[in-house]
Amino acid sequence: MADIAFTKPALPRHGALVLLLPEEGSGGTLHEAAIAATDGRLPKALEAAGFKGKKGQTATLWAPGGGLSKIVAIGLGKPGDITAENLESLGGTAWPLIAAERESVIAGEALTPEFAARIGSGLKLRSYRFDKYRTKEKEEDKPKAERIAIATADPAKAKAAFAPLAAIAEGIFLARDLVSEPPNVLFPAEMADRCKVLEKLGVVVEIMGPKEMKKLGFGALLGVAQGSVQEARMVVMKWMGAPKPAGRGKKEAKKPLCFVGKGVTFDTGGISIKPAGGMEEMKFDMAGAGTVIGLMAALAGRKAKADVIGLVGLVENMPSGNAQRPGDVVTSYSGQTIEVINTDAEGRLVLADVLWYAQEKYDPAFMVDLATLTGAIIVALGHEHAGMFANDEALAEKLEAAGKATGELVWRMPLGDAYDKQIKSDIADMKNVGGRPGGSITAAQFIQRFVNGKPWAHLDIAGTAWAYKDVPLIPKGASAYGVRLLDRLVADHYED
Amino acid sequence: MQIRLRTVAPRAGEAVALPWAQGTPAPEAMAAAIAAAHFTGEAGTSLALFSPDAVILAGTGAAAAPLDFERAGGAAIAALGDASALVLDARGLQPAEAAAFAAGAMLRGAPPLAIRSVPAGKPAPRVELLTGDRPGTIPHWRAAEASARGTLFARDLVSEPANYLTPAIFATRLRSLEEHGITVKVIGPKRLRRRGFGALSAVGREAASGPRLVTLRWKGRLDARPIAFIGKGLCFDTGGISIKPAAGMEEMRADMAGAAACAGAMLALALRRSPAPAVAILAIAENSTGGDSYRPGDVLTTLSGRTVEVLDTDAEGRLVLADALHHARHHRPQAMIDLATLTGSIVTALGHHQAGLFSNDPPLAAALVAAGAAVGEPLWPMPIGVRHREDLNSDIADIKQCAPSGSGASGGRLMPDACHAAAFLREFVGGVAWAHLDIAGVEARAEADALGPKGASGFGVRLLDRLVAMRFEEER
Repeated sequence: MADIAFTKPALPRHGALVLLLPEEGSGGTLHEAAIAATDGRLPKALEAAGFKGKKGQTATLWAPGGGLSKIVAIGLGKPGDITAENLESLGGTAWPLIAAERESVIAGEALTPEFAARIGSGLKLRSYRFDKYRTKEKEEDKPKAERIAIATADPAKAKAAFAPLAAIAEGIFLARDLVSEPPNVLFPAEMADRCKVLEKLGVVVEIMGPKEMKKLGFGALLGVAQGSVQEARMVVMKWMGAPKPAGRGKKEAKKPLCFVGKGVTFDTGGISIKPAGGMEEMKFDMAGAGTVIGLMAALAGRKAKADVIGLVGLVENMPSGNAQRPGDVVTSYSGQTIEVINTDAEGRLVLADVLWYAQEKYDPAFMVDLATLTGAIIVALGHEHAGMFANDEALAEKLEAAGKATGELVWRMPLGDAYDKQIKSDIADMKNVGGRPGGSITAAQFIQRFVNGKPWAHLDIAGTAWAYKDVPLIPKGASAYGVRLLDRLVADHYED
Repeated sequence: MQIRLRTVAPRAGEAVALPWAQGTPAPEAMAAAIAAAHFTGEAGTSLALFSPDAVILAGTGAAAAPLDFERAGGAAIAALGDASALVLDARGLQPAEAAAFAAGAMLRGAPPLAIRSVPAGKPAPRVELLTGDRPGTIPHWRAAEASARGTLFARDLVSEPANYLTPAIFATRLRSLEEHGITVKVIGPKRLRRRGFGALSAVGREAASGPRLVTLRWKGRLDARPIAFIGKGLCFDTGGISIKPAAGMEEMRADMAGAAACAGAMLALALRRSPAPAVAILAIAENSTGGDSYRPGDVLTTLSGRTVEVLDTDAEGRLVLADALHHARHHRPQAMIDLATLTGSIVTALGHHQAGLFSNDPPLAAALVAAGAAVGEPLWPMPIGVRHREDLNSDIADIKQCAPSGSGASGGRLMPDACHAAAFLREFVGGVAWAHLDIAGVEARAEADALGPKGASGFGVRLLDRLVAMRFEEER
């Protein structure tokens, strides 16, 4: 990854110059300087390329003069388009255009220190690569960027604004690494071990194995795990960043926030085995857990002033002679019994025990769980929004707002008694599937039975965990959807 | 089914339905029975007692919203058993509550359409609404009855098998609405083709009974632009060349439930002499498979001039609606609302308990949600995202009709087709305030409930009628 720096505006003498140009008005001092350096050819060349400064529009001029290898123009759009979110996105747009240049300078009249920092964030997020398993990649196919300088009037201020964004990006990279890893490398024990990197950031990491979970009575989670030779794990990660009340007798510490992730490191479906086509994608059935781990890294990395506990349930769902069968009845940690109708509806079984544990042990202000839970949510919403289910209006509204602010969109989906009836069982307290109609909703109803009435939201991220094509802030692959959303939720409402 | 108003107290031996609000003291003579049966008076539940008198206690719940009285009336008639007559004793209710009580009985008690050589089951019971305030009740009952009659009209159309209700016969049935003061105009297959209804014509052309576009107009009294209802009226949907699997295909006779609901709503407005002008545009066709069927890959020129690439001939509903929506704009409507049993995707998304709502106009969407909640026909808002529209970009035409299966995530098995369909329809509404109700999954009841028997539900009639009453009947 290239070094991202902030400098005062100065025309570079080599490498690439990226100019952020609005539809109307000045492109700033470096724009003027670039026009001079190109002997006035720049405006004509941009006109010839049809560049009008529309938001996200790009044009590249090779060897434009002044020693530069290229000038890249990126459109800022209309004045109303110039927002922090859009600039972050444009930073992402810029990356593939300058990745092959050792040095680049990015400049624009609009670049306040805050905006400059957001450009840096966008560049960084888009620059992510997961290339550890490529042994023969040609040199020319690798990015060569070493230093990208973003020009702004107050570099020190921009650098300070960039620091927390860089920490969030590091959390996102951790989550993307975990999600990208193949399932033979990343199994529950390995994934739990990797959580220990958080200790360096000041996060307390506790790992529980099958023995401890059996003793507690995690019958639902362990039922899923029993078919695999890989042992299950639960990881609890604590970041206690809230300022502690000074002196004795002051008001009590606030309740912690809990984030819970589904971590099925590979999901064959178990005895209710999945069709072969596309099954390799089931390596990312741990993306909910990956996001929670990445979120903890982000919060600790930027020293968030909040008490946050992340919990992930890690299992592998395999068919075998010892695997759970359709028809089995398991007793969850809550004491409620579950008839397993479909062993491929395993995520909710894992979440059931971890959520009950979280609410019982930590009495949180709220719980948000993330899970690649149902194909039905893709049929419902596609890949742009995650499905959000909540029993708490205020929490739902905060999540919606955080989604709009970060571009990690959520769409509210319903809960209700009529749906809850679909998971009635003849033999146990409930069954683990409610049929095709409203498949994501009945899954959420199931989970709701394990939150004990505490404020809770469930994000079904089956459609958003993986980017099937490049988008400005995510190269094709693991998206780490949810890290920015939940970091924003914490930052906007729970740190004061 | 008729319900007559009466003011004469019940005679001995007449079965009486008595509303009872949860948490109120039980009538003394029945207190012991109520306690023994653990009857709580929850809305939509009832308790039949045969001694000392034949009384059906109908729970109206604790909060007693108008809908609760409807459900109470429905629960009462459901408990009637083999008795042939029922007196709805509403003397303790306000006129509006009494009307709702009777409407519920009508919605639940009217027998569903059946075509049998020997009549089975019993005829509809004789039902009377007993009220202490006949003049005060009449206007409320007139409105409630209109809405219920519209619903029953829609249900009967939906129940009719496709060999009974061909496109031509559907159009004829709709002609019967003229007797209520509705103007009916039918455009037949030839003129549709000549006038450029390229999508509707393509979908319907192979069937022995060709496509029709039916326009229903209710003038109202207000000097205002009309509200427009647009309905998908596929009398039968084989899927066409992209033929459906055999199992369950018989349900496709109900693929005209959107059009039936629009027609039922028009009837309701006419019966209660609504002041609001309204127009319904019903795109009626049968999607058959044969030598003249339209094909996947065909490019159709719609009435709007826009070209559409067909990928799946079983996504025909959005095609006929495209032409109908564009045509509706000629009426310069204040708002357009289309109803369609459009996608299996919405059933996966929302199940059988509510319909999907897509809209380009938040106030209209909010009004629809409120109307749906008021009549027990709930709607849930769904998104039309940027990506949903992008997925429809076509290499050969202006737009694809649906996203291709067989590529993309998970081998293309999982597609947000309901959202795609809504994104497609939006292209044909221009700037008009518009909402699309995907009613697949709610057009029929799998089991009877307090507001209807098993079978066709007539979903949408009462919702649209209520929407008009709430939002479009004020003088400007």
